[in-house]
Amino acid sequence: MAIAEPTNNSPSYIDKLVVPGDVVLDLSSMSNQTIKLGGGLRQDCDSITAMKAGMLRFSKPNKYWVESSQKRYVPSAGDAVLGIVVDTKAENFLIDIKGPALAYLPVLAFEGGTRRNIPKFEVGTLIYVRVVKANIGMNPDLSCMDASGKAAEFGPLKDGYMFETSTGLSRMLLSSPACPVLEALGKKLSFEIAVGLNGRVWVNAAAPSTVILVSNAIMNSETLTSVQQKLMVDKLLQRTQ
Amino acid sequence: MEESRLVTPGEVLGKASQVKAGKGAYVSQRNSTVYASLTGRSCFISPPPNSIDQRPTVEVTGHNPHAAVPQPSSIVIARVTKVMPKMASADIMCVGPKSVREKFTGIIRQQDVRATEIDKVEMHSSFRPGDIVKAQVLSLGDARAYHLSTAKNEFGVISAESASGATMVPISWTEMQCPLTGQTEPRKVAKVET
Repeated sequence: MAIAEPTNNSPSYIDKLVVPGDVVLDLSSMSNQTIKLGGGLRQDCDSITAMKAGMLRFSKPNKYWVESSQKRYVPSAGDAVLGIVVDTKAENFLIDIKGPALAYLPVLAFEGGTRRNIPKFEVGTLIYVRVVKANIGMNPDLSCMDASGKAAEFGPLKDGYMFETSTGLSRMLLSSPACPVLEALGKKLSFEIAVGLNGRVWVNAAAPSTVILVSNAIMNSETLTSVQQKLMVDKLLQRTQ
Repeated sequence: MEESRLVTPGEVLGKASQVKAGKGAYVSQRNSTVYASLTGRSCFISPPPNSIDQRPTVEVTGHNPHAAVPQPSSIVIARVTKVMPKMASADIMCVGPKSVREKFTGIIRQQDVRATEIDKVEMHSSFRPGDIVKAQVLSLGDARAYHLSTAKNEFGVISAESASGATMVPISWTEMQCPLTGQTEPRKVAKVET
């Protein structure tokens, strides 16, 4: 019967595919180090096991985490997400951010926000917000300001079209250097885009046909390599121009 | 007027000038009448012979007079159900040594969690949903919940589960440790009884 045993000096799992149950690190062979575990990893006494299927990533000096793409979003502090207003209360707006619970956006969490100029959002307004606190068991806390108190592009998004994707595609769209699909589209078309780490993307352009083209190109690009993405975008643009 | 009868909440038991309101009855200030507040049998208790106020006391005994009901300054054991930024909700399970028969809800507000630095309390670092806490009833609160307080050393979390599912061991006033993984989690810990 094969039991997952930590093998010393084996090729490490970093940047490789792991599945739940794989023992990725053996702490007894690494002493006197502090290791930070990100999402998808769990400590069982001396061994670190993966809890999610995905790629194991490592960043210096000591951070390990499992990167995977899902349709469900788990709120975590510091993420910029696209939320939809569900209800207004006296002190907070209730926002749906595709997480397990509704999030609270305090009515004063806007740049220059005071009791006198509280913004009025209708139910269904799309808002670009930042997650401030996301503790398990509590509703996440949001804000329309960045960490220093400036508005920084957060706030309601008018017009345009919003569609939902997986979290992996959102992260790829936000990666730097620029994602190939967005670079190829940006050379020929002009549009504006907002990407939420919760799997929601908003696109706006002058003509509806541009919006549809950009949205379809992004939705198709999830499983393509950079070369394939450029080819796909070129083919789409050729058909319309 | 003196015989015991079955009464329901809102029934008139007498005038305030003639009877005193005991358990299960109350006086309405507007028209100085004593009404019943429980469903049960009313009974009249004669006043002690040498007291100034010679009015009899009327009491209503409900269907379960021995049931545990939280009263101000009684010690209760509750399970935390929801943690919010300014307060935590808990289901009261026992009042003193007795368990309750019906559902009572309590609220622990941010300023009642501990005695020092009450405005810097982080509710998420004091309680988590599922924790068992020992608290004292501050007041009857409002229609929805009693107000509870854990602001003394002997009140706070007495039992909690870690994220891995094991019962944690208290290691200080503010931390509990999971025996399986060694991780510590912050809680407002009650003094361990020795």
